[in-house]
Amino acid sequence: MIEAQALSKRYGAKVAVDAVSFTVQPGKVTGFLGPNGAGKSTTMRMIVGLDNPSGGRVTVNGRPYAQHRAPLREVGALLDAKAVHTKRSAYNHLRAMAATHGIPNSRVREVIELTGLGPVAKKRVGGFSLGMGQRLGIAAALLGDPHTVILDEPVNGLDPEGVQWVRHLAKGLASEGRTVFLSSHLMSEMALTADHLIVIGRGRIIADAPIQSIIDGQGKARVRVRADRPQDLLGGLAGEGVSSQVLEPELVEITGVEPRRIAEVALRERVLVYELTPLQVSLEDAYMQLTQTEVEYHSHALPAAGEAPALVEGR
Amino acid sequence: MATSTPPAPARQSHKQAEPGPGVNFGRVLKSEWIKVTTVPSTVILIVSTVVVMVGLAALAAWAISITQQDLGSSGAPQGGQGGPPADFDPASQAWEIPSSGLIFGQLLIASLAVVLIASEWATGMIRSTMVAVPKRAPALLAKNAIIAIIAFVVGAVSAFLSYLVAQPILAGEDLDFAITTEGVLPSILNSGSYLAFIAIISMGIGTLLRNTAGGVVTAVALFFVVPVIIVNLLSGLADWIPDAARFLPTNAGNQLIAISTESDALTQFQGGLVMGAWALVLLVASLLVTRTRDV
Repeated sequence: MIEAQALSKRYGAKVAVDAVSFTVQPGKVTGFLGPNGAGKSTTMRMIVGLDNPSGGRVTVNGRPYAQHRAPLREVGALLDAKAVHTKRSAYNHLRAMAATHGIPNSRVREVIELTGLGPVAKKRVGGFSLGMGQRLGIAAALLGDPHTVILDEPVNGLDPEGVQWVRHLAKGLASEGRTVFLSSHLMSEMALTADHLIVIGRGRIIADAPIQSIIDGQGKARVRVRADRPQDLLGGLAGEGVSSQVLEPELVEITGVEPRRIAEVALRERVLVYELTPLQVSLEDAYMQLTQTEVEYHSHALPAAGEAPALVEGR
Repeated sequence: MATSTPPAPARQSHKQAEPGPGVNFGRVLKSEWIKVTTVPSTVILIVSTVVVMVGLAALAAWAISITQQDLGSSGAPQGGQGGPPADFDPASQAWEIPSSGLIFGQLLIASLAVVLIASEWATGMIRSTMVAVPKRAPALLAKNAIIAIIAFVVGAVSAFLSYLVAQPILAGEDLDFAITTEGVLPSILNSGSYLAFIAIISMGIGTLLRNTAGGVVTAVALFFVVPVIIVNLLSGLADWIPDAARFLPTNAGNQLIAISTESDALTQFQGGLVMGAWALVLLVASLLVTRTRDV
């Protein structure tokens, strides 16, 4: 479990992380989503004590990271795939890290096998591809068999097989009851891996909710309609708060109203409808909507907060 | 936390991990030792330091016996053109042969100490180090301890090997001497201490600057350039300058390894104290800075 309370980080006048509070629960994969520069990495670095917070505090399993007697057994973190001496072999790098906690070499070999590094374990890390570096970082994170795993952009540079492997790994760790905290700027990746989502933008938490409720809560119904007289249909819908986009003479996309209501209006207006397709709102769309409005969050809560009560509860 | 949540079917290794306690200084020392010995260039540098120091001592021994030969054949030691100075005493110079490699050895050890810490910053390894040892001070202390021990062994072993290598060369001119000759054995051991202090001072510089090139240049400047500039250019400006210069690390270090000291100069022990003070100040400064620095 990771708990942040009013956690802040300032670099001079720039505020990287602005009084964020959130809790990462054990037993599920929590995604940490935000555009580049939103404060994801800085937050994660503060969790493991690499950066000192300018304000607030963050604890892991009830204590600040540095106060654990065996930090690597509490938290495993992949923060930066390049946090390795380039002239040392992967095996020796892991051995040196393991030695600080008295972790035996058998465990080092175990994580090497687990991450598929076997064939290159004795090679200099400097020659590793980005994907191999990621695997080494993940191997280091798993060394202490920790209760909490923090992975910053773990699929960066991985091939499709590796991406899938990370996905399974994260879910597997969570199913064992561990806390898994995973950052990414790839919404599609989060949709597949995460159970819960914390969205951050410009150093503030924009949303903190189960992933499904973010999708449901953010997306307004969007329906594709083919009709012989779309203008009459739109005329009939006027005043119901819809917006529309005419794509072809007989094809419009209507946002903000349920398909059934469109059909009712069409019947009333005697418009022939020959297609009525509800469009799925992707997490990507939901995310874009969230981050577009992020500036307003200085003064408002989420516009959709009523629909998804869990949203922004972390603040 | 995770263990208390019900559905967790913890893996076997999960259990194995429990009894193993956490970080302690001995383990951090071992980790740092692994780090030093698993970067090939570090090992090569250490071995070359010994070779270079012993080689220089052999050269020095050879030079002294040649000079002694010339002295013997010309029979005119006083004021001969290009000859040795009047106070040339081949026997006492021979006694200093074991420590004669230090002038170069200290350069290599200083570079090594700077590289050991600065390369962690350069490669990002420092983040792995500090995630594993988040209290930070033990990691830095262990790194200093390891380099100090290595430097001591390199210094003392090189000096002892130099002594051994020099004897047959000196024997030709009857200049060979017993290791029990007064001051020789302490000088051999203090060659180790000298390099250990050099190592800690350099690692402190490397930690403060976090930059390999800058650290090496600064260390070389402190150990080599500043003393030379003072002796050759500045010492005439004011009386206190040469006085203060005695307290520069390498100047104090030369007293530490001296076979005998003059009455108005620092004694061996005082020289060691001055060097130790430099090392301590830099070590404390680097600890303080490392504690609060973002990595």
